[in-house]
Amino acid sequence: MWQRFYDYLNRDTRGAGLSRVLLSTAFILLVWQLLTATFVTNRMLLVPPLDVAEAFLEEVRTGAMWTNAVATVTAVGTSFPAAVAIGVAIGLALASSRVLSLMGGPLLSALNSVPIIALAPLFVAWLGLGFSSKFVLVLLVAVFPVVVTTEAGLRAADKNLIEAARSFNATSWQIFTTVTFPYALPFIVSGVRVAWARALVGIVVAEFFGSFAGFGFAVMAAGQTFDTATLLAYVIVLGAMGLFGSMVFQSVEERLAPWRKE
Amino acid sequence: MTTDYILEVAGVSKTFKRAGQAELVALRDIDIKVPRGAFISIVGASGSGKSTLLRIIDGLLPPTGGTVCVNGKVVTRPGPDRAVVFQNDSLLPWKTVIENVAYGLTLAGVKWKEASRTGRRFIELAGLAGFENHYPHQLSGGMRQRVNVARGLAVDPDILLLDEPFAALDAQTREIMQTELLRIWQESGKTVLLITHQIDEAVFLSDEVIVFSARPGTVRRRLPIPLPRPRDLDLKRAPQFVGLVDEIWKLIEQEVRASART
Repeated sequence: MWQRFYDYLNRDTRGAGLSRVLLSTAFILLVWQLLTATFVTNRMLLVPPLDVAEAFLEEVRTGAMWTNAVATVTAVGTSFPAAVAIGVAIGLALASSRVLSLMGGPLLSALNSVPIIALAPLFVAWLGLGFSSKFVLVLLVAVFPVVVTTEAGLRAADKNLIEAARSFNATSWQIFTTVTFPYALPFIVSGVRVAWARALVGIVVAEFFGSFAGFGFAVMAAGQTFDTATLLAYVIVLGAMGLFGSMVFQSVEERLAPWRKE
Repeated sequence: MTTDYILEVAGVSKTFKRAGQAELVALRDIDIKVPRGAFISIVGASGSGKSTLLRIIDGLLPPTGGTVCVNGKVVTRPGPDRAVVFQNDSLLPWKTVIENVAYGLTLAGVKWKEASRTGRRFIELAGLAGFENHYPHQLSGGMRQRVNVARGLAVDPDILLLDEPFAALDAQTREIMQTELLRIWQESGKTVLLITHQIDEAVFLSDEVIVFSARPGTVRRRLPIPLPRPRDLDLKRAPQFVGLVDEIWKLIEQEVRASART
């Protein structure tokens, strides 16, 4: 019985995958519930899962969840695609010119190692509270992974494939569209996946400092009033956003490069 | 008597300049004439510049001296009268078999409908009917090389240039592919120039075998192969066949030994 259940979980099907996720979620909820029932009885530190669910429904009922979602999703929904577009464009430029790459490369890695999040208060001072400061901060934290993977992906293109295309008298543009770019695409998508996680951190921090609405703002506000249940409800929503994006990009990556999996 | 030569290589040399090292003379004074419809092989130790010569004939590399003429015209770049089948896997992994076979045609601007019809014909010729919509990673090494050959033939070149096409295959698959190549050659009526280091392969397939010396590559000997056609694998046990292989082996033995030491 247990052996059969174990074998089922080991399988590579969609149903088995779902069961694995459900099982681990249930386990975490159980541990959480037990913790709040035994060791951590101070409700300012940790509340039971059911209280969090209740707080979540309350936020939905009052409409606060919706207001915050609109604020956060508008900011991320505009700045993230912009970050991807700009990142790919810079990556293309760097991959196409050795001089640009040599000049821009060190600059980019220097910028990349600066914790841009730390500049959040400065952006708020420059751009004011609200959309613009969020937009710029998310753009800056999300753009680097895309730049790096785009350049790396374009440079990684198989020399044999390029030579074969050249032997068929392909133009440089044809080599780019039929070999180099398709080869780089899965790399780019993996960069986008990393960028998405960073964008969520960026938006939360931006909203901590500079806004009147948004998930980050709500987390901050709940924290300051010691409303742990509401705080955790928003954190879980953010976590779901992160997980969803990561899963989508991963499946795109696998679809674009099925030959890598086998 | 005038023979119709499709390919004339006259006095071709190739020298590679290497930063911080002595120049590398890869080829010296190569003269080769290939009659239309013939099957000619070039054998030689590794490093004898065979593949370099093939790239010069295709127009992928410029010669340092001398000229290559195909159909009486000097080669300066790859053209539709030549097609290369490379040793390594140079199929596009994100394209299906039919898309790969039609690749050269689509690069030349042929509409998909016509390109895929032509592609289908050569897939059939290569014995791959039913695999049109498979991806390269779903095929065996031998099947991938059939796709490679079909892709070269699909652009309807006058001369097919094969660069050690079966080197990566196991011995049994290689023998099967050799007979397949003979069949395809006879059915298509193309001229074939084969680069190989397998002496028995060269003798089995060719009308004439050109033996290269080791670096710098020069034409050491030209050997007509008077074996009757059609040929099958039993021929490889015939005394005349064994004698020819032996003769060629003795010609390049010293060079192979020399290059094995370095």
